[in-house]
Amino acid sequence: MMLDDVYVIGVGMTPFGQHEVPVGDLAFEAGVAALADAGIRFDDVGVLYNGYIGGGGLLAGITVAKDFGLTGLPIVHVENASATGSSAFREAVLQVAGGHAEVAMALGFDDMNRMGGPGLFKPGVETVMLPAAFFAMWATRRMHDYGTTVETFAQIAAKNWNHARHNPLAQRRADHEVTVEEVLASRMIAYPHTSKMACAAGAGAACAIVASRSVAERVAASRPLVRVAASAQETERYTDGHVFMGAVVGPGELTRTTSRAAYEQAGLGPADLDLVHVHDAFPIEELMYYELLGVCGDGEGDKLVAEGATALGGRIPFSTDGGLTARGHPGGPTGLAQIFDVTRQLRGEADGCQVEGARTGLAHMMGAGSVCVIHVLQRE
Amino acid sequence: MATSRALEQGYFTVPADGDGPPRLLGSYSPTADLHFFPRRRRCPVSQEAVVDVELSPEGVLYSWTFVVSPWMGKNRMGDLEGHGVGQVDLPEGVRVQTVLGGDMGDWEIGMPVALELYPVMQDEEGTDLLTFRFAPLAAAGAA
Repeated sequence: MMLDDVYVIGVGMTPFGQHEVPVGDLAFEAGVAALADAGIRFDDVGVLYNGYIGGGGLLAGITVAKDFGLTGLPIVHVENASATGSSAFREAVLQVAGGHAEVAMALGFDDMNRMGGPGLFKPGVETVMLPAAFFAMWATRRMHDYGTTVETFAQIAAKNWNHARHNPLAQRRADHEVTVEEVLASRMIAYPHTSKMACAAGAGAACAIVASRSVAERVAASRPLVRVAASAQETERYTDGHVFMGAVVGPGELTRTTSRAAYEQAGLGPADLDLVHVHDAFPIEELMYYELLGVCGDGEGDKLVAEGATALGGRIPFSTDGGLTARGHPGGPTGLAQIFDVTRQLRGEADGCQVEGARTGLAHMMGAGSVCVIHVLQRE
Repeated sequence: MATSRALEQGYFTVPADGDGPPRLLGSYSPTADLHFFPRRRRCPVSQEAVVDVELSPEGVLYSWTFVVSPWMGKNRMGDLEGHGVGQVDLPEGVRVQTVLGGDMGDWEIGMPVALELYPVMQDEEGTDLLTFRFAPLAAAGAA
């Protein structure tokens, strides 16, 4: 699949965190911001994908759209757990790539604190597994196999907290440099995960608008064009030790195979990336994704952390806006918040968090069930 | 009259006293020579038919954690501060995600563990409703 003619022309986002207003209000704010950023009106949009998991309630997507305008455009609700926003973005990209729309909009909104799930309403054999516990089992196995220490996990979390200090839209903005000791001293949730290692759950909205090259050139003004170089999505394949019941996500290999597909589409490799966003709901995930995305070899992620290579100013910064850890993870909008940051990074507009000279960025999300969605964006 | 029964059917046996250990109910794919838990409608590898099987009641602990909450969904895990969960490899090549019997400090990767049943609630007649967990082999059945 070729994506030569799809560009991100506008992005918008609300602060993530605890909000008094309904998520529909947040969605409207993010959508209007993205339209303004693109310099277009809603009646220029050919199709709208709304991404929300459940925090907005029944019919939330179609209802929210009425506030933008009754233009008759097709509207579709997309849900893929944590990868909901990424999946909505991908559907918008594919509409433009396939020539079905000149302009497509992906809007994510949610409140992670207002969601249900299997096992939450009555006792059952297949009851809910807290993500903190599921990924903690990745962590204890990693410690057993590679000698990874809890300090390494804390260092990754502290890095992301400190990245968020420069992001005014982040849910967690510490008023001081967050230390490894502080992360380790926070409340234990599921060994070895402490509360400061766990992603921030809240509410928020984010939006991205994609368009054909002709539209992108028309609205770009003096800004550089940001091309969608790859859009890849996979679900899990059977692997040795496959867990069918209670697994939050599938085997880690899912990230490896999806990223390979993305690199092939984009015609580049991990060495070409200037910044990366991942599903860093817990630091063990970020550590493993260093390796599964091919940024370093298997078992070498700990060394990358020790060298500070994945911090702002390092060789390959991860979670430049604070990531799920500290920018936050409301659900539906999370993947679109990654697109928001990567786009601004590639335009050179990420004040305080800017990766100097960034030309290529990757955004990776996992969704429970499970699904992996990866996009590569590139500045022209 | 039974004083206990499975919380839900189709996941494990509830043997009468003296009838041996409980067993998880899984599937076997003759075409792929693979076992699965819980039961599959069709082999996910060959996409061919599977047959019902009972799986081994003992395995090896692949990974674990201790969750600092007595609740797992709507199942209360007793009166402890929290509960263990883990992944267990059975001899058939199946990895089972499960609650762990015991307390923090009781579990080590690679240790033998055994299947056991425990009550999570009672129905209106006072019958214990059971689900499954694994516990370190020496302690299994002692909880």
